[in-house]
Amino acid sequence: MIGHIEIDRYHALRSPLHNWDSRAKLVSILTLIFSIVLVYDLRMAVMGLLAAIVILLLSRIPVRFVLTHIKWVFLFVSPFLFILPLEITDGRIGIDPYGLWYGSLITLKALSAVILIFPMVGTARFDVTLKALIDLKVPNKLVQMLVFTFRYIFVFFEEFQRIVRSIESRCFELKTRIYTIKTLGKAIGMLFVKSYERAERVYNAMISRGYDGVLRGGGEFKMQRIDWVKSLLIIVLAVGLHIPWLWVR
Amino acid sequence: MENAICIRDLSYAYPDGTEALKEVSLEISRGESVALLGPNGAGKSTLMLHLNGILKGMKGSVEIFGDKIGDVDLKKIRKRVGIVFQDPDDQLFMPTLFDDLAFGPMNLELPQDEIKERVKIALRKVGLSGFEDRMPHHLSFGQKKRAAFATVLSMEPDILLLDEPTSNLDPRSRFEVIRVIEELRKEGKTIITATHDVNAVPKIAERVFILNKTMIGEGTMREVLLNKSLLQEANLIPPDVVQLFELLGCFGYDCRDLPLSMDEAVAHLTRTIETADGKHIHLHIHEHTHEKIEEVRGRYNHHE
Repeated sequence: MIGHIEIDRYHALRSPLHNWDSRAKLVSILTLIFSIVLVYDLRMAVMGLLAAIVILLLSRIPVRFVLTHIKWVFLFVSPFLFILPLEITDGRIGIDPYGLWYGSLITLKALSAVILIFPMVGTARFDVTLKALIDLKVPNKLVQMLVFTFRYIFVFFEEFQRIVRSIESRCFELKTRIYTIKTLGKAIGMLFVKSYERAERVYNAMISRGYDGVLRGGGEFKMQRIDWVKSLLIIVLAVGLHIPWLWVR
Repeated sequence: MENAICIRDLSYAYPDGTEALKEVSLEISRGESVALLGPNGAGKSTLMLHLNGILKGMKGSVEIFGDKIGDVDLKKIRKRVGIVFQDPDDQLFMPTLFDDLAFGPMNLELPQDEIKERVKIALRKVGLSGFEDRMPHHLSFGQKKRAAFATVLSMEPDILLLDEPTSNLDPRSRFEVIRVIEELRKEGKTIITATHDVNAVPKIAERVFILNKTMIGEGTMREVLLNKSLLQEANLIPPDVVQLFELLGCFGYDCRDLPLSMDEAVAHLTRTIETADGKHIHLHIHEHTHEKIEEVRGRYNHHE
């Protein structure tokens, strides 16, 4: 059996982020993420990254765990940092300060946003986060998509692994040739057919238990004074990132 | 007794035209537990999907406690008829077991306290108390099967439709599932079990239907499970204990009234020994014993 989505692996730790009402946490940190993404000043972006790191440390989620996951994001944004600043002048490669500034801004903002996802989603069980989304009146269809992705993504992977094992056990080897592409194409095609059939069976199981298109049942959340305080602090931080910029301008 | 299920001349074909059910009729009384046997592709699962209105037959009618499907609100039917699907991964679609068990009652818009109580009771019935927060994909297959039962039990249906409840289970998990079905029978639930597990049938049902697109046989356990030609038509063989006692017959054991289950076998042996001279049974090998053994064993190998 493959492990489940491990974003909430550290949900059982104790920290100011863990005992924060999930709804308030989602709204506040999401506001902070948007705020960081919208800054247009490198210093404020650095501040945003520092704030994200502090929040991450407060959450007590191991940094190594976060680094393992954000390395892929860094790989994705690294071209902005390393290629965007390059310019060719008189046949020579040089550094364009604007490109460097812009590339750094994008990288800082992307890393901050991704780092903040961990304290936002990783400090409560994922099902609790989903219930918070229902309570926050996030479109029900969107929540249902998240619920089913969470539940079935690994069933999907397991089915694909079974197919791969099955073709490998019959002497299939990955080689650079048309046959490999054709075989993998067929295997992936079958995976989609199987997924479609499973989706139909799951749907039957749902309607047989009275499903009418709406996913019911939020969590039993109750805002305490401390939850309001935490939310207020984050919102102030989110707004604060923009005030110096407005003042400078 | 009041009919829980009444099906008349039900026919159904898949969208590609493949005929799945042809003029199927059956009646099941309230509180009765029946087994639905048949080869793969016989239409057992398709028939079950008709019983709570997921599929609608092209011809014929299905009545649940006198309410004709199609004429009444399907929610009313689905509240009374629960299906436990063959693959528990199809049935357990929520992030935690509590959410899965609460899914049906929430759709019935029951009060929160009652939902919690129902979840607790359903988990206790299947021996999974305390598993509320567990994630379905962290359970063993046997636990998933029992959890799938619980998702339906939390709706407190009057009729339970069980699709291959013992398939792919290790012996202990199979035993647990059979125990749950026995408990539900005692509670007076009306149960239809589609299965190939003939060894489990005597424990979970009192009447048997044999389906192969159309109903090809019906009767008491004894009438059906000892009817070799009927079983052969359904690609089935009698329970192991029947075969064992037939083999014992080759060694001279008096095996009239073949036992269908282990319990019956124990009773049979006890009775035979107690009534025999010297309180023991005498088995022997004579010149035709091996011939007879070959004949009995060949009888259940349909391809020889």
